Amino acid sequence: MLEVKDITVTYGPVVAVKNLSLKVQEKSITVLLGANGSGKTSTLLAIAGLNKISSGEIFLSGERIDTLNAYEIVKRGLTLCPDSKLIFQKMTVLENLKAGAYARKGDIKEDLEEIFKLFPKLKERAKQLAGTLSGGERQMLAIARALMSKPRFLMLDEPSMGLAPNLVKEIMKVIQAIRDRGVTVLLVEQNAYSALKISDFGYVIQTGKIVLQGRSEDLLKDKRIIEGYLGG
Amino acid sequence: MLLNRLILGLSTGAFYSLTALGIVVIYKITNVMNFAFGNMAMFMAYVAYTFLTIGFGPVVALFLVLPLAALFGFIVERYTLRPVRHLSHSSMLIITLGILMILEGLSTQIWGTQYKGFPELITGRPFIIRGFSTLLVIRRQDLLVFVILGVVSTLIALLMKYTKIGTAIKAVSEDERTSQLMGINPGKVFSWSWMMGTMLGTTVAILGAPKTYISPTMMLFYQIQGFTAAVLGGFDSFAGAVVGGLALGVVENLIGGYISNELKTSFSLILIIVVLLIKPQGLFGSREIRRV
Repeated sequence: MLEVKDITVTYGPVVAVKNLSLKVQEKSITVLLGANGSGKTSTLLAIAGLNKISSGEIFLSGERIDTLNAYEIVKRGLTLCPDSKLIFQKMTVLENLKAGAYARKGDIKEDLEEIFKLFPKLKERAKQLAGTLSGGERQMLAIARALMSKPRFLMLDEPSMGLAPNLVKEIMKVIQAIRDRGVTVLLVEQNAYSALKISDFGYVIQTGKIVLQGRSEDLLKDKRIIEGYLGG
Repeated sequence: MLLNRLILGLSTGAFYSLTALGIVVIYKITNVMNFAFGNMAMFMAYVAYTFLTIGFGPVVALFLVLPLAALFGFIVERYTLRPVRHLSHSSMLIITLGILMILEGLSTQIWGTQYKGFPELITGRPFIIRGFSTLLVIRRQDLLVFVILGVVSTLIALLMKYTKIGTAIKAVSEDERTSQLMGINPGKVFSWSWMMGTMLGTTVAILGAPKTYISPTMMLFYQIQGFTAAVLGGFDSFAGAVVGGLALGVVENLIGGYISNELKTSFSLILIIVVLLIKPQGLFGSREIRRV
């Protein structure tokens, strides 16, 4: 289980996340919903070790990880799939995937084949520079690269951002498939309906604080969610 | 005459290529223009000279000094540059300038100002090839520089293409922060780059020492030409550094032979400005590739 206890993240005088707590149960999809600037990405970066927290604690399977560097956290099985702009644009698709497997030992051939089965487009583009991919392909590459580390916990930062509705559906299916393989997923999204549809549990964050939480099927019916996020 | 000039140019260029490779390997990964590159190499050449004076041969001295050069590069990066890495870029440049001056002063204090001789690593009769109308003379040491350049270039190419270290180098040089999400420790990669760069510089200093003699300013010219070759080849490309150095050496020697020996450096620099006006990223430098 991933457990975030009372964390606060600040950027100089700006408080991005304040006393936030959440739990992600194993082999589930948990979604963190919120508007732009609500502190979703800051929370993910803090869990991944790229943002240092000013107070609170983060535990992964019982081990405290907020004192570790980002590269050490990856080795413990928690991987962040960042915004698709953060793929390595000057590297080829294949090189990006190899970079994703950096922390692992052993042969990666079979895993590459698996990834290409999940994302056949990436196989066609294997030798192409990542910077030349379309938005949807970049997103797929970002997820595929994260999967190459064989994570037990995967955090995804707005994987549907800027994608056409049919691609959003495709990405959500992939996320479900990842969970079905036994990977625990923490999904950060603005696209509330799609995210709640595939997830088990949800949190809503506003100005750095959790304001609502519950089972996803309950949240889908919640008046505040319908009015605030589902255009109701 | 032309063939001789070409060979001579390639031989000079091989020195520039090795220097450029050392500069690029540090710049590409850590984004630091190491102004102390030449003086770090010079200091290690003095250390090699010290090994000579206590009875080791030049080849043994080289092999003894290379691990020390790697350690020197590691210490400079880890303890002087890394602590200020996230403060400002200019502070890192100023630190390299500071190291440059400290090493110059320190070497004068320890070894004096008199030029020290350093033997060639391999001696013997030069190779003489008879052409139609000319004799081609190739010194063994010049051939050795080529072999070393070939071996180093091949090793770097293999390292970049087939190893995890190569993948880490590419990832860190593109995006240090994101590379951590792959499990890569950027600090380790920075250390490797400074260790490799300092070893390359030291190799150039020792290979060049029979011509330049060992002195506090021995690497000044090579450093300037190394920077020029790196700019010509594209500052973030290993292949560019090799080709840039060889091209600079050839152009310099052709201009020296056919136009004016005094103006060869000026002319070659003008030519490089022209190349850069046409191709600002250098011959092999990468441009930002983005879909818009």
